[in-house]
Amino acid sequence: MSVRHGLLALLSRGLRYGYQLRAEFEASTATTWPLNIGQVYTTLSRLERDGLVSRDDQGGQDGQDEQGRVRYAITSEGRDELDRWFAKPVSRADRPRDELVIKLAMAVTTPGVDVAAVIRAQRSATMRSLQELTRALRTLDASTEAAQRLVVDSMIFHAEAEQRWLDHCEAVLARPSEENP
Amino acid sequence: MTETRPPDRLPAPDAEPVVRMTGVVRVHGEGTGAVHALRGVSLDVPAGELVAVMGPSGSGKSTLLNLAGGLDRPTEGSVVLEGRELRDLSQRRLAELRRRSAGYVFQDLNLIPSLTVAENVALPRELDGVRTAKARAEATAVLEEVGLADLGDRFPDDLSGGQRQRAAIARALVGRRRLLLADEPTGALDTRGGDEIIQVLRQRADAGAAVLLVTHEPRYAAWADRVVFLKDGQVADSSAAGMETAR
Ligand SMILES: Nc1ncnc2c1ncn2[C@@H]1O[C@H](COP(=O)(O)OP(=O)(O)OP(=O)(O)O)[C@@H](O)[C@H]1O
Ligand SMILES: [Mg+2]
Repeated sequence: MSVRHGLLALLSRGLRYGYQLRAEFEASTATTWPLNIGQVYTTLSRLERDGLVSRDDQGGQDGQDEQGRVRYAITSEGRDELDRWFAKPVSRADRPRDELVIKLAMAVTTPGVDVAAVIRAQRSATMRSLQELTRALRTLDASTEAAQRLVVDSMIFHAEAEQRWLDHCEAVLARPSEENP
Repeated sequence: MTETRPPDRLPAPDAEPVVRMTGVVRVHGEGTGAVHALRGVSLDVPAGELVAVMGPSGSGKSTLLNLAGGLDRPTEGSVVLEGRELRDLSQRRLAELRRRSAGYVFQDLNLIPSLTVAENVALPRELDGVRTAKARAEATAVLEEVGLADLGDRFPDDLSGGQRQRAAIARALVGRRRLLLADEPTGALDTRGGDEIIQVLRQRADAGAAVLLVTHEPRYAAWADRVVFLKDGQVADSSAAGMETAR
């Protein structure tokens, strides 16, 4: 993903300054995806280069207003790109590799590593974040935007799946010693 | 998301837990057929805390719950419920303490089909010797707490699964029992029904009860202040929310 597409989506609602984009991006991801302002401007200049956004032409030199700030607008190419992004499912292969999966695979095949201890430590840590996420969700009040709730929900489901997978790993690894003693 | 637990929820450090289990061993049967269901478990459940117990099938979760509530006696070790060492109590005294202090929710809810929901919920209080009118008033209050205020006059068979489960919880809550024990109370419920149950348990803990919950579901365990993982009758690890130092 795509900070790129996130910014395009925000710009599709209207003209925005860079700092506004940053604030709105963080708000809609329930501040679970912090973005620094440098990332925002780097991304905007790439989008501009690719013709997907443009500087607001109401401004003066280079689209700057009196305070030297620039407002950005989505172009019609940008809208097409955004439509394509929403229409196309995210491929699992596009997602970043999960370090935990690699770590466990390595732990299993590396001599002298106590795999059970790795699993236990991870399970406690994952449960702790699940507890924290649940508390965060509980304390969101009714006025919280649906987008934010859904982001926290997603992380809860993810942590839950990881927890189940760890239980599964533990069960699978416990088995061979019984089958071939 | 790194907030710590609000101070009003922390039990005073020297407050006596509602249940304290120390070095508890439970062996079923004898000789070669002996099953070591618990092999030396120590666990405190203080007032105001929701503790979840997880672990594979057969790891000793139900055994732990039964021992904590005085429904079963340990082979070795000590269980202290509201300051009373259970080993020292006669059967009669134990039954009395159990009834007064602990509320149980089991998966097979044990609601009596020929009694209305309100009568089912009032029953434990009538057994406590409370007058019928007062028991009924208490039942009404607790039914309201679990969101069944309007369904007290129905019979258990005329409720949905989730409502039945909440009625069973109401029965466990009535009379302000300080210890609440729940073995897979979210059983076969869907996410929504399960969430309702877990919220009621959470509220009770927040109101000062000690709650011990057995569950297979990480999403429900996550409502707990502490999650204890059992494996082969021992505590494998535990995680406390918002506190780096698990007890
Ligand atoms: N009355 C009994 N007699 C003999 N063995 C028993 C008895 N009760 C329990 N056990 C054994 O003790 C062990 C722990 O049982 P327990 O019911 O506590 O497991 P559990 O963790 O609750 O499992 P589950 O998730 O399947 O409910 C199991 O091996 C079980 O077979
Ligand atoms: Mg059980």
